[in-house]
Amino acid sequence: MVNLTINGRIVQAKEGEMLLTVLRREKIDVPALCHHEAVEPFGACRLCTVEITKEDWNGYSNYVTSCLYPVEEGLIVSTHSPKVNELRKTILDLFLARHPNSPEIRQLAADYGVFKTSYETVVDGNNCILCAICTRICDTMGFHAISTVGRGHGKEVAPPLHQVPPDCVGCLACALNCPTHYIEYTFDNNYLTIWDKKFELMVCSRCGKKTITKEFAEYLSKHRDIPFSYFEICDECHRKELAATMGQITSWEREA
Amino acid sequence: MKHNLDKLSAIFNRYPQNRESLIAVLQDIQKEYHYLPEEALQATAKTLDVPLSKVFSVATFYNAFSHYPRGEKIIRICVGTTCHIRGAHLVQEQLENRLNIKAGSTTKDLKYTLETVNCVGACSQAPVVIVNNKYYGHVKVSDAKKLLRSK
Repeated sequence: MVNLTINGRIVQAKEGEMLLTVLRREKIDVPALCHHEAVEPFGACRLCTVEITKEDWNGYSNYVTSCLYPVEEGLIVSTHSPKVNELRKTILDLFLARHPNSPEIRQLAADYGVFKTSYETVVDGNNCILCAICTRICDTMGFHAISTVGRGHGKEVAPPLHQVPPDCVGCLACALNCPTHYIEYTFDNNYLTIWDKKFELMVCSRCGKKTITKEFAEYLSKHRDIPFSYFEICDECHRKELAATMGQITSWEREA
Repeated sequence: MKHNLDKLSAIFNRYPQNRESLIAVLQDIQKEYHYLPEEALQATAKTLDVPLSKVFSVATFYNAFSHYPRGEKIIRICVGTTCHIRGAHLVQEQLENRLNIKAGSTTKDLKYTLETVNCVGACSQAPVVIVNNKYYGHVKVSDAKKLLRSK
């Protein structure tokens, strides 16, 4: 265990933990767009930048991305000092210039008092902030269906060869975790379309509700050792059935 | 476009077949075919056991890799500051007209690729044109024909 001071309060943390993890646990509101528990810290959005210092630093301080900074004994952290706020404002100002139409970015910027960018607005921009949560999560899920393509100004998230991604199973992990909801998908009757790939949805054999895609169910059943029949019934019906099963078990126990 | 991909297996056999070899393999494919054919990327992913998305990510990251067929003769016109002042754009115009393509593209017969480059560090020789890695300095508009014929 290590002891550190966060905004004047002494906090204990586990060795090797990242600073942002501790801040989140202490319910300190530090913005971050590229952070997700399911993937390694990335340091792309820079918004979780905090000011750190130590007693023997003779008044000097440093600015670090808390998501990538392991906690240390005696660390003194300020999450909302005037300079940190100023830094974050500049970052949000730049975000706003590149993604002026993103409601999430606008809200976050407004929270820090940035309502209009002081830079030149990118006219034909999109809402992708290149945080790579989507591609990293896709890797974690084990599909590796999408990746970042190109670099510099032309960098984007795309399926391989800019074609319909062969490895995508339509799990929606990328789209649902996108901080700016940039990745589009549509539900149309029994079909889900994402990355220009059309998937047939499974239908609950009890209530007729649509559940996950057939490809996703097949993947889970194959790689996570879950019988395929499990996915033929929706979550709600599974729970309804659970009561009956538990009743059965109780009656067996009573008999025994 | 269909390719004779027989040479791929020879390239794969030069390196251990794992993800560490990815860039080396892509470089050799680029050298062999002058670009990275789609089929070659797919074969690379399969052979090295690297997801296709990762192969594509790496292949698009480096400028050394091309994704479109390139000509036998690659003509690069320096358009850096010095070359620009000394008339590189006139040379470019002349070459574009003669080949009937714009810089950044390849002739239909796959004989020539015309490219611009920002500076090659030979400003004293400006304007500079590079044909298949051979440098030509003090190029004049009237040299265009000679450049196209050069080996």
